[in-house]
Amino acid sequence: MSRQARVAYAFLAPGLLLFAVYRFYPLLEGLRLSFTNARLGRSAEQWIGLANYTRLLEDERFHVSLWNTAFYTVASTLPILAVPLALALALNRGRLRTLLRSVFFFPFTLSVVTVGLAWLWLLDPVVGPFNYYLRRLGVPARSWLADPQTAMWTIILTTVWWVTGYYLVIYLAGLQDIPRDLYEAAALDGASGWRSFWAITLPLLRPVLLFVVVTHVIGSFQLFGQVFVLTGGGPGDATRTVVQHLYEAAFQNFFQFGAASAMAWVLFAVILAFSVLQFRLLRGHTEY
Amino acid sequence: MRRGVRGVDRSSVALTVALLALAVLWLSPIAWVVVTSLKPAPDIIRLPPEWIPWPPTGAHYHEVLLGSSRTARIGRAFVNSLVVATGSVILVLATSAMAAYPLARMRFPGRDLVFALLVGSLMIPNAVLLVPQYVLTQQLGWLSTYQGLIVPEAAMIFAFGVFLLRQFFMTMPREIEDAALIDGAGPWQVFSRIIIPLSQPVLAALAIFAFRSAWNDFLWPLIAVNKPEMFPLPVALALLRSAYSSESYGPIMAGAALSGLKG
Repeated sequence: MSRQARVAYAFLAPGLLLFAVYRFYPLLEGLRLSFTNARLGRSAEQWIGLANYTRLLEDERFHVSLWNTAFYTVASTLPILAVPLALALALNRGRLRTLLRSVFFFPFTLSVVTVGLAWLWLLDPVVGPFNYYLRRLGVPARSWLADPQTAMWTIILTTVWWVTGYYLVIYLAGLQDIPRDLYEAAALDGASGWRSFWAITLPLLRPVLLFVVVTHVIGSFQLFGQVFVLTGGGPGDATRTVVQHLYEAAFQNFFQFGAASAMAWVLFAVILAFSVLQFRLLRGHTEY
Repeated sequence: MRRGVRGVDRSSVALTVALLALAVLWLSPIAWVVVTSLKPAPDIIRLPPEWIPWPPTGAHYHEVLLGSSRTARIGRAFVNSLVVATGSVILVLATSAMAAYPLARMRFPGRDLVFALLVGSLMIPNAVLLVPQYVLTQQLGWLSTYQGLIVPEAAMIFAFGVFLLRQFFMTMPREIEDAALIDGAGPWQVFSRIIIPLSQPVLAALAIFAFRSAWNDFLWPLIAVNKPEMFPLPVALALLRSAYSSESYGPIMAGAALSGLKG
C-alpha cells in the first residue's frame, strides 16, 4: 500500500469501524436471522429456510399492517407535496417572511412523542378544544382517533403539521435556484402567475419534488411513533403499521427475532421497489 | 402596469394577513400544551377552552421534574437526552469529518467503492436494522447504557455526514493546503489546522442535524433501554402518559412542554 493510501485509511478507520459494526453487519445479520427461528434467550437457533417468509403469507395481521402502511404512504403524499409547496410560494418573498418561516418550521423541532401528546389532548373527544370549536361550527363531535374511518386520516393530519416545516425549507432552497429572469420574460409575454407556476416553477422544481417524495416514502413506510402514541394501532387494527407489527413480534410477544427480521426484509424490498419506481417516473425528463 | 403600487400593496397585505392567521392556527396546538401545563387541575378540562392560564401554576412542572415517584423523572430524562445527543454529535462530527477528508482530497485504491457503499447505505431504512442492532447491543452488554444509545445514533447519521462534508471539502480551494504541504505540514496538520477551521458553518449544520436526530429518536431507545433512570425524553414522556392516563393532562403537558426546550 502506498503511503497516501495508508494515510487515507488511517483517516477513514474510525468511521468505517462505526459503519461496519452498526450498519453493515446488522444488515447482513438481519438477513441471516430471517432464515432462522431465533428468539430472545434462545441459545441455539436453527436454520429454517424460508419458513418465516412463507408464514408471513398467512399472517393476516401482517397483510393488514402492510395495507395500512401503503395506504398511509399514498394518501399522505399529495398533502406532503402540496402544503409545504404552497407555503413556500407564499413565503418566498413578502413581509415578515423570516418570522413566518420559523413559525411553520417550529413543529418539526419537536419529537414525535411531544407531537403525539399535543394532538391527543387537542383532539380529546370530550374536553379537547378541537371538537369544541367544531361543535360551535355545527359539526358533531367525534372521537377522531377511535373511529376506523377517520383514525388514519387524523394521523396524516398530525404528520403534515409536524413535517411541513422541513419540506418548506427544502422547497424554499429550490425556489432560490430558479433564475428570476425566467419569470420576467414570462410576464413580458403576458403569462399569468398561474401559468408561470405550471410552466416554470413546477418543471424546474422537479429534482426537489423527487427528493421530497422519495424521502417521504422511505419515512412513511417506517411509520411508527405517531401510531404508537396516538392510537396504539387501533381501533382494532385500523392503524397498525408494519414497523409496529415488527416491534410487537420482536419485543412484545415472544421475542421472535427470526420472524421480525423476515418482516424487516419484506419491508426493505417494498421500499426499494417504490423508490426505484419513483426515480423512473420523476427522473425521466429533468433536462432543461 | 396600470395596477399601480397601491393595488399590488393591497393584495400583498391580504396575503400577509392570511399567512399570519394561518401561523396563529399552526402554533395553537403548541400554545394549548403550554397553556394546559400552567393551569391548575380543575381548570384544565373546563369548556369553553380558556387560552389564558390565570393565575398560572408551576405545580405540574414541579411534579414531573422533582416530585413524581410514578415514572422516570423528566428532569433525569432531560439530562439523559442531553448526554446522548451531545455524545452522538461529537462522535458523528469526528468520524465523518475524518472520513470525508481523504474521500474529498486523496487518491487511493478503494476510494470510489467506499464512497458508493456509504451513499448506498442512505437507502437502508433504520427500522430494518432494529432487531440485529438490538442483538448486537445486547452482546456488547450495552443495553440501557449511554454508549448503547450514542454509538447507534451516530452510526445512523455517519454516512449522511460524510456525504455532506465531502461535498463541502471539494469546493474548498486547494491553494492553502498546498502551501501548508510545501511548508512541511503533514496531512493531520492540514486537516486539523486548515480544513476544520474553514468548515465551521457546514460542521455546525451537521451538528444541529445530528443533535435533533438523536434528541428526538424514539424507536431505538424504546427497545434499547429498559431501566427507567436511563430513559431519554421521548421514551420517558410516552411512559408518563400511561402513568397518568386520562386522569390528568397537566403533568403530561408539562413534560411535553419541557421536551420542546433545547438549545
